[in-house]
Amino acid sequence: METQEDQLLKDCAPYVKFAKLDELLNLGRANSLWPLTFGLACCAIEMMAAGASRFDLARFGAEVFRPSPRQADVMIVAGTINKKMAAAVKTLYDQMPEPKWVIAMGNCAISGGPFVFPGQYAVVEGVDKLFPVDVYIPGCPPRPEALIEGLLKLEEKLTGKRRWPVVKPE
Amino acid sequence: MSSPAPEPKPAAPAVSPPGASAPPPPNPLPQIALPFQGVDHALKGYHADATVAPDQVVFAAEQMDRAGFAIDTITGVDWIAQQQMEIVYDFFHPVTGLRAVVRTRVPRDNPELPTISGVFPGANWHERETHDFFGIRFAGHPNLTPFLLPEDADYHPLRKDFTS
Amino acid sequence: MIVKENIATDAETGRETFVINIGPQHPATHGVLRVKMTMDGEYIVRAEPVVGYIHRMQEKMGENRTYAQYLPNTSRIDYLSAMTYTHAFVGAVERAARIQVPPRAEYIRVITSELNRISSHLVWWGAFLLDLGGFTPLLYAFDDREKILDLLEGITGSRLTYSYYRIGGLYNDVDDAFLKGTREFVHHMRPRLKMYRDLVTDNIILRKRLENIGPISAELCRKYGATGPVLRGSGVPYDVRRAEPYSVYPEFDFLIPTFPEGDSMARYRVRMEEMAQSLRIIEQALDKLPAGPVMADKVPRVLKLPAGDYCYAVEAARGRFMVCIVSDNKEIPYRVKLRTPCLSNLSLFEEASRGLLLPDALAVMGSLDLVIPDIDR
Repeated sequence: METQEDQLLKDCAPYVKFAKLDELLNLGRANSLWPLTFGLACCAIEMMAAGASRFDLARFGAEVFRPSPRQADVMIVAGTINKKMAAAVKTLYDQMPEPKWVIAMGNCAISGGPFVFPGQYAVVEGVDKLFPVDVYIPGCPPRPEALIEGLLKLEEKLTGKRRWPVVKPE
Repeated sequence: MSSPAPEPKPAAPAVSPPGASAPPPPNPLPQIALPFQGVDHALKGYHADATVAPDQVVFAAEQMDRAGFAIDTITGVDWIAQQQMEIVYDFFHPVTGLRAVVRTRVPRDNPELPTISGVFPGANWHERETHDFFGIRFAGHPNLTPFLLPEDADYHPLRKDFTS
Repeated sequence: MIVKENIATDAETGRETFVINIGPQHPATHGVLRVKMTMDGEYIVRAEPVVGYIHRMQEKMGENRTYAQYLPNTSRIDYLSAMTYTHAFVGAVERAARIQVPPRAEYIRVITSELNRISSHLVWWGAFLLDLGGFTPLLYAFDDREKILDLLEGITGSRLTYSYYRIGGLYNDVDDAFLKGTREFVHHMRPRLKMYRDLVTDNIILRKRLENIGPISAELCRKYGATGPVLRGSGVPYDVRRAEPYSVYPEFDFLIPTFPEGDSMARYRVRMEEMAQSLRIIEQALDKLPAGPVMADKVPRVLKLPAGDYCYAVEAARGRFMVCIVSDNKEIPYRVKLRTPCLSNLSLFEEASRGLLLPDALAVMGSLDLVIPDIDR
């Protein structure tokens, strides 16, 4: 039988939504991802282009590039990582507070890209050798649109829903 | 923008127009006491080429310095078949645009020759890089530590017998 | 300018110094450069750059792939002026194999190289002013840069790493849309350069930040082999396009901007003037563009260069870039040497920054226009 409380809940259902606190927090996180300013090579220029005038990453709430890992949510690994740099990249990842996510931008961050050959001595073959990666964006370098799509994928991963419609290729 | 700007400097820069009427600067190569041989720039990309003994490189660098050349780059080539290492010093002349190459060879099992970083401080990094890649030791170099390779690197990747 | 004269390490004077480590992840170093700075208060006693954090084996890779396979690598050394870098490589191979490139291809190479030079200088301009604390110019610079990238993408299919020049010519011919768009861009860019001057160059804050800061003498440039805008900002009119003429550059009327002051402002002005000169070259090349093929006939699919060494230097956006190939008459080069401008330009930083205030030293570093993978290769 229905109690008075149940009736009350039913009455206010059109106006009030209940959710887990986690989901609410994730919604907030997804809509304002703060990337770490961390340019390595060619892809960093496309990352800059994504943040600049035409592509304007601010439309998706991810334009607040933080120079310090302590303030960043998402590390966009944009470029080749070599063995001399690997320790520094790992340190930066460890310095980021939880929860944190990683986007591997470009073929170098995914697999070492064009710099892998039998007997190579310098390149780390993919940033996922160092720490877990959430989103991979292929390209050499990926276009700024691809980086934006990668951020939308990350949002989708956080909230379980896609905020923006998918653009189908013609 | 509203702040009162000081007198703007003349915007016209000093320029070198094509076909300037000034006489071409004198060729600095004849005054250098090195065995230079003329090379066709259109075929090779440099104007003069000289081979010296390994202990002559500092003298050669001093000569090039006196003639007003600038250090372009230093590199090595591993001639494994002849069991030799070649060290190539590239120079360019900022006024005349001349390009000169000085080269020397050292035995591959003991690649050592004096540094020219005392003459051209810019050679410091080029020599460190050559040491990285080929293991060629530059005697008297102030800081012959790994340059492009990790701090603890003990391998020389551009040697032809290198395997990672 | 505030410079501390006779600055010395604590070992020499007994004064207390401390070390600041900048990088390899630091927004002011434009990538993964690391600088170990020994400081006496706010003054720099010694700034020692530590490089190699993005060493990518470019020279080793030259020794394990054919000439055509190596071509895409050249776009990734200095990704901001990829066209000129590819030009040096294909130039060296063409010089060795005695391949005659059709004139139309050479003209298009000049047009695209100069467009690339402007886009590279625009990135430098935006990023340099960002270093100095001005964010807005970056947005203007990228707005104009995107216009160039649209043009180049239309003919090359890529925004950054073009690989458009091929051994013996070009990947494809330009279309009318590119020619029309380039003309429109030249007309668009001239007033923009004037606006940049009004907005930024004549700005009193910028000039106080740059004038008389970090003077680099022509002699210092010579000792370290610095080239490009750094050398021209020290009053030496050295430009590879004039000193070792290549491609069809001798056919164009353009000036080499030089400023004798040698300070950061001089290097800034050189690059701003260079953009105007590049526009002049583009306009002339468009007027003179001949008809004809864009690829030499009979370029062998398997290329073997005659034994010997071959160099080819170009004026890249940052200075003198040279490719030297040592061939032993095989399909694969015996040795590929890349002489990059940023390595030489950075090597004088230690001497040029001695005694400077830390913020001024970062302004000097920005005025050198560094691309780190160009140093590390």
